[in-house]
Amino acid sequence: MEFIKSFIFSFCGTIGFSIIFKTPRDSLIKTGILGGLGWVINLFMTNLFNSPVTGMFFAALTVGILGEILATHFKKPATIFIIPGIITLVPGAGMYYTMLALIKKEFYNAIKTGTETIFIAAAIAIGIILSSTLSKSIKRVKGK
Amino acid sequence: MFIKSLFFIFKLHKFDNDFTSKNPTIEVIYLTPKEKFEQKEAKNLLLLATRTGSIMLQNGAETYRVEDTIVRMCKSRKYIQAVDAFVTPTGIFASLECQGELTTNIQRIKSIKIDLNKVDLINNFSRKFVNSNMSTKQGMSELAKINMIKSYKQAEIVIYGSLSAAFFSILFGGAGLDFISSFLVSIIVIMCTTILAKYDVSFFISNFCGAAIASLLSILFFKMGLGENMDKIIIGSLMPLVPGVSITNAIRDTISGDFVSGLSRGMEAFVIASAIAFGAGFILNIYFKGMV
Repeated sequence: MEFIKSFIFSFCGTIGFSIIFKTPRDSLIKTGILGGLGWVINLFMTNLFNSPVTGMFFAALTVGILGEILATHFKKPATIFIIPGIITLVPGAGMYYTMLALIKKEFYNAIKTGTETIFIAAAIAIGIILSSTLSKSIKRVKGK
Repeated sequence: MFIKSLFFIFKLHKFDNDFTSKNPTIEVIYLTPKEKFEQKEAKNLLLLATRTGSIMLQNGAETYRVEDTIVRMCKSRKYIQAVDAFVTPTGIFASLECQGELTTNIQRIKSIKIDLNKVDLINNFSRKFVNSNMSTKQGMSELAKINMIKSYKQAEIVIYGSLSAAFFSILFGGAGLDFISSFLVSIIVIMCTTILAKYDVSFFISNFCGAAIASLLSILFFKMGLGENMDKIIIGSLMPLVPGVSITNAIRDTISGDFVSGLSRGMEAFVIASAIAFGAGFILNIYFKGMV
């Protein structure tokens, strides 16, 4: 039940973001589904492995791979799907709490949340890197 | 190909070296009318390709896609012997060779406003241009038409963008009242940032102001009783300022080997993120000291 609820919320949130970035109208729903799936996978994997970094990694990986598949299927640039899909995963809350701890001069908390935020950002980057290098090498093999 | 063209240039300047000999043989190359037309067409083609690239880059495409588009558009015509393009987020350099003459074009990119719909449309346009026998003049008019398109109305962007901010505040664990207040806050934030963008304010200042307004209004709404968790309202209403395009493009540029653009895009994302943190921190610092 919780998964369905968070899927709907992140679906709506991602569609709103795609409108801010002005994605084409016919791919709004697809980006919404991508964003929703990313968040649900993040929740599921975070529970499974008990670490938010792993969850974010798998979520970014699925968003990247699905984005590339959608891009080749509908003949659109992959970034159209990946940019709004990745937005839900950006650790905005982590950055905010790091900043808050710094303001309150709780430096231990700041370092704790700050390092976690940096690791989450790195996990997202690695997920995207893996998916797009995979798609590139597949395209190169197919092209030959 | 490259050696052949070098030899050609050498032949053109041969008479410089023959100065000492008594009868310098000056080779004059006559171009047929068709070749002359092709040279002219090649210049137009380069202009068209760089303009296409600059529109793509301004609307948030990755640099390797822009380079690829320029090279493909130029190579699709048979009279072009060699093309190369170097693209960074702040400028495009492209040169091509036609009938032994090199033409170069530099285009500086200053403003960036994100519009992924235009990237998609121009991607389709370049594919059509490569596969068909379109003239450069026709291509120019089509490009101008695409550049005039308005993908979304401003009101749509404000309303849906703030709705998404509201959904994010719930997603991060907010309650029903937080939804309403972060919706109201981010309407004002998005309107303020668009107004600031109209006056060409630098992106640091506009993000700083956006974050400051967001946290100030969130504190106000929280004090008025409209909202349960102040943190969730602030996080939700800060989300529309997150530099998603720069983050994604920085990663994708770096993997595809464009380290310069990857670094500069990453720097942009980092500066925007720190601007948001400064803006929100500025207001929160005042708030925690009990001045509001």
